[in-house]
Amino acid sequence: MQYDLLIMSLVIFIPALFALVLMMPWFFPKGWEELMRWWALLGTAVTMVLSIVMFIHYYQSVYQIDSNPDDKSTSLLSKRLADVEKRELNHEAPLGNDWVARIPWIERFNIQYYVGVDGISMPLILLTTVISFLAMLASWNIENQVRGYCILFLLLETGMLGTFMALDFFLFYIFWEVMLLPMYFLIGIWGGPNREYAAIKFFLYTLLGSVFILIAILGFYFTDVRDFVDQRRVEQLVEQIAKSKHLTVREAEQQATINTFDIILLHRVGEAASNVIKNKSEHIDIPGIRAAGSDQEKLEAVSKRLTDQPFFQKWFQITMFLLLLVGFAIKVPVFPFHTWLPDAHVEAPTPISMILAGILLKMGGYGILRIAYPICPWAAEYLAGLVVALGIISIVYGAFAAMAQTDFKKLVAYSSISHMGYVILGIGVWQVTTGTQYWSWGMNGAMYQMIAHGISSAGMFFLVGVIYDRAHHRNLDNFRGLYEPMPLYSGMSALIFFAALGLPGLCGFVGEFMVVLAALNYSITIAVLAALTVVITAAYILWTLQRVYLGHNPAYADYPDMNLREILCIVPLAVLAVVFGVMPNLLLSWMSPSVTGLVETLAQLSK
Amino acid sequence: MSALSEQPGLYFVVATILPMVSFLLLILTAFLRHAARACDSPLCNTLYRVLGGGRPGRTAAYVATTAIALSFVCSLVGAIHFASHGQDHHRIEELKEEAHHLESEFAHRPVEEHPKIEKELQTVNAEIHRLESKWVGRIEWANPAGPYGTKKDARASILYVGYRIDNLTVVMFLMVTLIATLIHIFSIGYMSEELAEEVEDHQVHTADGHLKRRGRFGRFFLFLSLFCFSMLNLVLADNLFQVFVSWELVGICSYLLIGFNYERQSASNAANKAFITNRVGDAGFVIGLLIIWTYIGTFNFEEIFKTIRAPLTDSHGVRPLRTKIDGEYVPLGARIVRANLVVEDGEKKLVPSQTGDQAVLFSPKVHLHVEDADPGDETDESKWYLKSFYPDFDSTDSMPYWLLVAAGLGIFVGCVGKSAQFPLHVWLPDAMEGPTPVSALIHAATMVAAGVYLVARAFPLFTAEALIVIAYVGGITLFVAATIAIVQTDIKKVLAYSTVSQLGYMMLALGVGGWVAGIFHLITHAFFKALLFLCSGSVIFGCHHEQEMTKMGGLFPKMKITALTMLVGVLTIAGTPLFSGWYSKDMIVAQSLGYVRLHPEHFLLFLLPVVTAGITTFYMFRMWLMTFTGKPRDKHVFEHAKESPATMTIPLIVLAVFSICVAWGWPLHDPEASHLNKVIHHGQPHHVLADFGGLAELGELEHAPGLVFKHVERSERYWALKLHGLAELSAFVAAGIGVIFAFLLYYQSRQTGKTRLDPEEAREQFPGVYALFANKWYFDELYSALLVRPALRVSQWCKAFDLRGIDGVINGSGRCTVTLSRWSGWVDRYIVDGLVNLIASVSYGVGSWLRRVQTGYIRSYVLFLVLAAIGVFAILSYFLAMAAAG
Repeated sequence: MQYDLLIMSLVIFIPALFALVLMMPWFFPKGWEELMRWWALLGTAVTMVLSIVMFIHYYQSVYQIDSNPDDKSTSLLSKRLADVEKRELNHEAPLGNDWVARIPWIERFNIQYYVGVDGISMPLILLTTVISFLAMLASWNIENQVRGYCILFLLLETGMLGTFMALDFFLFYIFWEVMLLPMYFLIGIWGGPNREYAAIKFFLYTLLGSVFILIAILGFYFTDVRDFVDQRRVEQLVEQIAKSKHLTVREAEQQATINTFDIILLHRVGEAASNVIKNKSEHIDIPGIRAAGSDQEKLEAVSKRLTDQPFFQKWFQITMFLLLLVGFAIKVPVFPFHTWLPDAHVEAPTPISMILAGILLKMGGYGILRIAYPICPWAAEYLAGLVVALGIISIVYGAFAAMAQTDFKKLVAYSSISHMGYVILGIGVWQVTTGTQYWSWGMNGAMYQMIAHGISSAGMFFLVGVIYDRAHHRNLDNFRGLYEPMPLYSGMSALIFFAALGLPGLCGFVGEFMVVLAALNYSITIAVLAALTVVITAAYILWTLQRVYLGHNPAYADYPDMNLREILCIVPLAVLAVVFGVMPNLLLSWMSPSVTGLVETLAQLSK
Repeated sequence: MSALSEQPGLYFVVATILPMVSFLLLILTAFLRHAARACDSPLCNTLYRVLGGGRPGRTAAYVATTAIALSFVCSLVGAIHFASHGQDHHRIEELKEEAHHLESEFAHRPVEEHPKIEKELQTVNAEIHRLESKWVGRIEWANPAGPYGTKKDARASILYVGYRIDNLTVVMFLMVTLIATLIHIFSIGYMSEELAEEVEDHQVHTADGHLKRRGRFGRFFLFLSLFCFSMLNLVLADNLFQVFVSWELVGICSYLLIGFNYERQSASNAANKAFITNRVGDAGFVIGLLIIWTYIGTFNFEEIFKTIRAPLTDSHGVRPLRTKIDGEYVPLGARIVRANLVVEDGEKKLVPSQTGDQAVLFSPKVHLHVEDADPGDETDESKWYLKSFYPDFDSTDSMPYWLLVAAGLGIFVGCVGKSAQFPLHVWLPDAMEGPTPVSALIHAATMVAAGVYLVARAFPLFTAEALIVIAYVGGITLFVAATIAIVQTDIKKVLAYSTVSQLGYMMLALGVGGWVAGIFHLITHAFFKALLFLCSGSVIFGCHHEQEMTKMGGLFPKMKITALTMLVGVLTIAGTPLFSGWYSKDMIVAQSLGYVRLHPEHFLLFLLPVVTAGITTFYMFRMWLMTFTGKPRDKHVFEHAKESPATMTIPLIVLAVFSICVAWGWPLHDPEASHLNKVIHHGQPHHVLADFGGLAELGELEHAPGLVFKHVERSERYWALKLHGLAELSAFVAAGIGVIFAFLLYYQSRQTGKTRLDPEEAREQFPGVYALFANKWYFDELYSALLVRPALRVSQWCKAFDLRGIDGVINGSGRCTVTLSRWSGWVDRYIVDGLVNLIASVSYGVGSWLRRVQTGYIRSYVLFLVLAAIGVFAILSYFLAMAAAG
């Protein structure tokens, strides 16, 4: 068995396996709640360790074995995938270290179990396993129905990891939905007083997004991509049709269509679509045309397929892009699709808030980067203004709305909207006439911001949870004076909140700054707005710190400081916040080749 | 060690890192201590006790003080190395000439000798590189192309952090580390109350008296260490990005230290105000950064300057650049060149013009070749020097000029925030909530001067428009702040406004081209203002945290050292001849006079500093007289007042000595002879001379003898030197008037407590003016009405829009769906089901009606049968008839 397939599958399914064991009443009889928690924690820990092992091997095989350091292409999934395809057709054994693996699953519909990692998904996978582990550690306060909680928690983790690794649309969508259901129950059962409203709101919002994505997936599926695959596959297919239907090769040729859920293959189709729409057919270099050679008839057939199919037309690209964008924007969330977030956060229990803010929001950004942009590049460029506008509105609106909140958790939720706006802004600033470096700052900044926000927002929600456990309320106006009784807690809070504020030396600054560096090249107004928002951000965060930690309040004078479990929970986040704030190259060095590669590929299209 | 001798610039890097080490040590122990306190196990308890337990110890102070003292030593050693590097400079020049010579050899020598020349050239270049890199260094910080990127030389592709040591850096390092060391020592005494396990905060009232809290001795030094690191990093930086990072870090340290007594509402408010006001400035800073990043493509100071300023000579290094702009020959060397973008035959061309909307960007890659132009002038002998200096800008890049102005102004807005200049000066007086050593170090000597430092550092970036804005902002600030200082009664607030005012002087100086004067004053001010603040700290400490001057008076006999050292500070700031402040302040006044001489429409730029010189002496003497002389105003305070311990007075004496003689040189009375002045003067970027000094000092003489006098006459610097005496005299007279009024109004006789003139009466005579000054020109009210409240209102709108707007739609559509489903439920039940039921009940009804037919009598069955047969027959025959007819 291929090593990479094995380890990727293990990372995805180990949480589910642990959940399966939990389901068996004879392993964990009623009353053994403490053990169930430890078991679930072990599950997340094993996943985390495995994902780190995976990362190390990925790093070694993609970077260090590479003999030619100038060749960045191994960091691109599409390049590695082309090799996989070639090996498959030559009936060679697949490589165990190329970090793309696929095996047929439902052959009737050309669906595959198809996973892979690159510099875009790897950091998010690591983030997922780390945050999940810490969130499980923060779950010790869950008292009722521990078994159900742990099972759903672990299933959720499988869903998230699967989403980040799946490269087949069908698989992707399954994981996407697998993620949704446990979340619904986790909020709806273990949430706060208004949990049902929040859970349903979350569910319906996200389901709406999923439906949009599903429509887009089906839209892509009904496109004939036979000119984009290795032509030997087409030949095999033609032979097969000819044999089964007793047709001549020529007739069979006309009937042969290949439909696909392959995300990476659709990237190539999307690039071609951009070139077709821009009338730059000379840039299109696909197997179908190469195979046709100088055969005029075949060439015509190819070009007919390229122009007549809806996929290669403006309206289709725009519609699909909008469907995907809205689908993912709901998850990010972007103004005006964001109102599920504050409710979901306020009602969700602390660890679920951590997961929600730390990881689930990143699905949206990831989807836009991995799916919406590469598959509909023409529409993405055409609608860049819309994406940028959504980003900047989220940044400004989220910051202002955060300032008005009196519920601590709601404030953090709105700050998430503001910070995730930078992700959208960074992705959107498609302006490459003076070179690709500015957009590349934006894209890398967006990725960096996702990781940084994963760290800081998970930390913030955890910290809110800590004080909620003691005070049993979250009203910002009723706190004050926590610094004196809880110096460690307050110190950590200051650090994490400063990270969110974008203080240099902490992780939040790097992503924000990188995105803003790209912004002025796109539009001066946008850059000025983004720069001015830092004032509002500082205002609401400092005001919060003042209202919660500063001053003095005899009512809280005897609160205990954080206990060992809580310290263990927050320290890794604090350390990560500092490390990624001080040494961005630690992450960029292996993340950016993939991200910049994507930028270069897309920028190529707008030349 | 070998690395240090090879690259002595690293001494300064080490000096920067030392406070960081101290900070990390302190914060790790603090973390471990608190963590150990939180866990309850014997091991943890032991750890807790080993790390100091509940009672703060002095160790933190010793660690921090040692670190910063070592920092000072490092800077000193580095400075000594740097002082001897003048020879290096000379050697580099020689080597460069040699390299140039070798390059020209290629053309003359036969091909077979080329490898040999190549080799020689390489050694020469390596030597140049070695010598040049002695004082510079940088590492990659963020590179989005990854280590395998191929875009290393592309613009705007990598963020670096690095250092570059020049005269300005060295002077700043020595000043910062020395003053910081002294203030650390002072703080050991001043903060000693925080050593107690329980400290009573008299300013915070609780239900049962005053607030009691744990001592925070260690925390103070922890923050101080972080501040020292950030400040030194700011000065060390060779690029704007690193400056910005440090900028924010010093800001957060300032926030933490202003809010040191965070139980006080006033302290936490002041901390927030300081940081948020600074962030307004930082937003401007960021915009400036972005413009530079997008249009110039680098943050490195040297690279920026080389790009936006014309080189002194053409690419061959021989001919100075000069071009015909709007019919007149203008020197270009070290200047910003404006041009118009003209499209000629489909090709873009830059035509220099005084009012051009483009700024020419000089990339080192572009070859600037000077051609012999204007042969027509050959007839005129006196213009021989003009004919050959015409660079061709066709292949150079450009950026919109207004964006260059905006970039400079953006950076300057950052400086306005940090240096508390009008209109962002409001935070500094409030920042006095911090402990006094903090006010001395951060809010007087170092951090607030960072804005001035940055304007000086980034000077070549500022266009003429930006510079005039800087000058006016400085001018307004120095006057407004001084007027407010007159009416303050809190001893620290007086000093705070005085700081704002003095920083305004520095900004003004920079704006009118007095680069040297501005930095000179920055250094002298750092010493005397740190002295003044520490003296006020000593007074406050001696009076048990009484800061109101209205409760002081007559303290001279009780605290002689403090009083005398403070008098030194007052005399220095007043500009008493031969005290350091005299040299630097007069130089600023002279510089502004020189500027006004050439631009009489800006006469305010001279008037304001002169008048304010008088106001300054007035309020400083007022402060000193109110504190130390006359009759004690508050018996309680007076009786308990005492002189501070030696840890506090020794730093005072050292600072007093520095305040007097830091600017000395020989002869004493000549400011130009001052050693400090000379060092700063050597560090002045030549762009300043290009903008303000004419070209006489640029070695242009041999190329343009005819122009020299004309240009010098037109230079601000010329007039500043020439009118120095006049400026000195006017400042002296103004100061004298200030002193006289201060004595008349505030010198009480010790017995009667009477003054010659009554301050109360003076106040009543100008009620409007007094109210204006006492209310700080209503800035706080203005900002609250114009910015704070609108922002809060907008945020409420956003919140409401979310709840009613978006969620209204969401919940509304939810309700619609529910209603719709109710309807469809109703339809289901009554229409669909109704129909089905109707059919069922109809057939049931029919069935039950038909049941009655089943009578059981044979005769009725026969009747039905017959009737049915007739009916069937009738229908059949009808159809048959129809068919027949059809």
